[in-house]
Amino acid sequence: MVLYDSATLGGSCSGSSSSSSSSKPPPLQQRQQTQQDIDGLLAGAGYRVRSSELRKVAQRLERLETAMVNSPADLSQLASDTIHYNPSDLASWVDSLLSEFTQPPTCPSEFIMDPETNQTVVSDAWTTAEPHMPQVHQNISYQQQSLNNQLTVDNQLTVVTAMEEDSGIRLVHMLMTCAECVQRGDFSLATSCLEDMQGLLTRVNTVCGIGKVAGHFIDALSRRIFQGIGGGSINGGSAYENEILYHHFYEACPYLKFAHFTANQAILEAFDGHDCVHVVDFNLMHGLQWPALIQALALRPGGPPLLRLTGIGPPSPDGRDSLREIGLRLAELARSVNVRFAFRGVAASRLEDVKPWMLQVNPKESVAVNSIMQLHRLLGSDLNRNSPIETVLSWIRSLNPKIMTVVEQEANHNQPGFLDRFTEALHYYSTMFDSLEACTVQPNKALAEIYIQREIANVVSCEGSARVERHEPLSKWRTRLSGAGFRPLHLGSNAYKQASMLLTLFSAEGYSVEENDGCLTLGWHSRPLIAASAWQAVSDGPADFPA
Amino acid sequence: MARSNEVNLNECKMVVPLNTWVLISNFKLAYNLLRRPDGTFNRHLAEFLDRKVPANANPVDGVFSFDVLIDRGTSLLSRIYRPTTAEEPQPNIAELEKPVTAAVVPVIIFFHGGSFAHSSANSAIYDTLCRRLVRLCKAVVVSVNYRRAPENRYPCAYDDGWTALKWVNSRPWLQSQKDSKVHIYLAGDSSGGNIAHHVALRAIESGIDILGSILLNPMFGGQERTESEKRLDGKYFVTLRDRDWYWRAYLPEGEDRDHPACNPFGPNGRSLEGIKFPKSLVVVAGLDLIQDWQLAYVEGLKKAGQEVKLLYMEQATIGFYLLPNNHHFHTVMDEISKFVSSDC
Repeated sequence: MVLYDSATLGGSCSGSSSSSSSSKPPPLQQRQQTQQDIDGLLAGAGYRVRSSELRKVAQRLERLETAMVNSPADLSQLASDTIHYNPSDLASWVDSLLSEFTQPPTCPSEFIMDPETNQTVVSDAWTTAEPHMPQVHQNISYQQQSLNNQLTVDNQLTVVTAMEEDSGIRLVHMLMTCAECVQRGDFSLATSCLEDMQGLLTRVNTVCGIGKVAGHFIDALSRRIFQGIGGGSINGGSAYENEILYHHFYEACPYLKFAHFTANQAILEAFDGHDCVHVVDFNLMHGLQWPALIQALALRPGGPPLLRLTGIGPPSPDGRDSLREIGLRLAELARSVNVRFAFRGVAASRLEDVKPWMLQVNPKESVAVNSIMQLHRLLGSDLNRNSPIETVLSWIRSLNPKIMTVVEQEANHNQPGFLDRFTEALHYYSTMFDSLEACTVQPNKALAEIYIQREIANVVSCEGSARVERHEPLSKWRTRLSGAGFRPLHLGSNAYKQASMLLTLFSAEGYSVEENDGCLTLGWHSRPLIAASAWQAVSDGPADFPA
Repeated sequence: MARSNEVNLNECKMVVPLNTWVLISNFKLAYNLLRRPDGTFNRHLAEFLDRKVPANANPVDGVFSFDVLIDRGTSLLSRIYRPTTAEEPQPNIAELEKPVTAAVVPVIIFFHGGSFAHSSANSAIYDTLCRRLVRLCKAVVVSVNYRRAPENRYPCAYDDGWTALKWVNSRPWLQSQKDSKVHIYLAGDSSGGNIAHHVALRAIESGIDILGSILLNPMFGGQERTESEKRLDGKYFVTLRDRDWYWRAYLPEGEDRDHPACNPFGPNGRSLEGIKFPKSLVVVAGLDLIQDWQLAYVEGLKKAGQEVKLLYMEQATIGFYLLPNNHHFHTVMDEISKFVSSDC
């Protein structure tokens, strides 16, 4: 008789007689186990329901319908005021709606008296054995795996195009060929490709569409071929320059505004009821995100908390203390709205150089960690055993934050193969440039384009520690963050609605907000470009093992 | 009231598999939250709840997809689905619009359902359905993301369908090798079926050849209350009340359900006698309360001498074609495959 501890019960099904006593259950294994139980057909429709729970979900749906029919007043409130979360998790969604009704009714059809035993049994009114069903199940079993994959497709490449002229298509062809040569190491062929492309560029409309973004990719390829992969001057832009470009990118398109807005909303909710709060911003820049939060805290019912803000940023050269300057401005604003405020700047060239003691987190305060497009910079692996991301996530966890808001580019720019990365980047940045066309205000647009151009150059022409733009998609971040001991805090329909409304205020048509398994993405037409999510540290201890 | 609901719920539980029941009931309840009594629609919540999937230029089960902005002015997107070929199992990203190579390639212009108000071309259920159509018919499928009611009333959806038809017809890369023409079929479910009919109508004098129309549970109606509407009201996921709401949301304000958009062979309809109209495959679910209108549509086509095949699926409810777990699904898919390939 072998004793299994709770860690291995849910995981292994092979019957091997090892009684490992791992301190936490292997998340991937458990997820695979549960995934095999997910109804494959509903997964193809975007819903995650365990086959074993179908009956229960059906009964709850029934109850919900009865409740909705019986109390129409509650229904209209449900429709307008209730905040919905993560519709893919159908069971939870139905339960959350049911809990909104003051008196959840029991549906009479659920229970019938068993005449033999005089006990109530749950009625089994659903067809359990359609004659054709076993056959159909067999047929769909091979589909099940691919349908499961549809809920979390790892290898996705989304393309949104407009009608391109022939020369535009030729240019894309040549870019791909050139990139392929570079991957193979055939630099002489790559160089002649470059020359051809420069020639073609002169005949293509470079004001918009593929012509515009192609130019940047040609530059990046040139850089890689002629200057090598050390990054050259593209990363040498001063911190001051970067801040200016960032500011124009902020103004020109809604991505950063969306990031700030969504993160602030989540932070505000997380801080509800807390009187001492501390926000740690991984990249302060001009502190553009914080005036809105300060004002929202000022207005919250019950009064504002004591707010501490720790802003991390690169050291300023020439004796300026730009972090402190921004802190002073924010303090001034806070004072004007009667929010007790304290600021601390932490100067660090790289996020991995920051140590938690520098943040001076007080155990009594509620902490929010805010990372707007910073975590991906930690994904470069050095020769040390611990990659920076693991180190940083681990100390974030040790701070036990009430919330960690994460916004990242929704792209797969960290693939090992150069051609794959290049292809993905070509489509991602084409879409992003297309979306910029909606902004007509200069000089914001031109400088925003330079900001994006620097990203492109980094993705395409750098390697190793110089390549910091290592964007990964939401699905990868989910795995990574769950594995590091975080659980998701879902962003709800209220955040979604406000983000959508913000878009209509600030931007042209074409931008779209989407809900993705508890996270929100902002994209151009049907292509998500930025993903916002919120997380909380899972507390340690055996009581927290999922059953 | 609770008693008759009990009966209703029990009845529809008997005829569909459990996961189908869960899916359609979920839609039904969610949609109840979105329709407001004053005729407005909670669009933000609708978009939040709708499960969407991005296009994927990497093939999955032999199908890859990409989105194209067909008309910048109206932000009209369409999702193109293409089959991979034996020669090119992994399409080159630069060649998404590479010419089709077979002698004859059917191009199916698909209009998703949703009663004119719900869903999008990138809704998961329709992305899945379109992928199936590609594999089934060895076709290219163009799924049109038409503008929806109540924000965009008649004739916006038809206008968008017409724009898509012209776009498809003018793509050199969609021309079949045999005759350098695009072999076009129109298809749609629910409101999409209605749109398919009206786009075919608009195409009549245009010179654009449409080889066939596939209408799955097409959405038609009229002022009169028919026998099936009275008999089946509320029994199988759908109520007359919600049908009325959607027509009020789509039709021009002040118009009733005998408007030709809703009732093409009604008092205000147009005769198709002597007109060159594409052959039609019309699928009617026997438990759909609007079947009398759908059957009247088939009769209308027959009386005008048009070629039409009716598939009456007696025990089918709405949405049976969304999940491949019932024999109606397989029967209909077989018929669609035959309908589309009969021109090869």
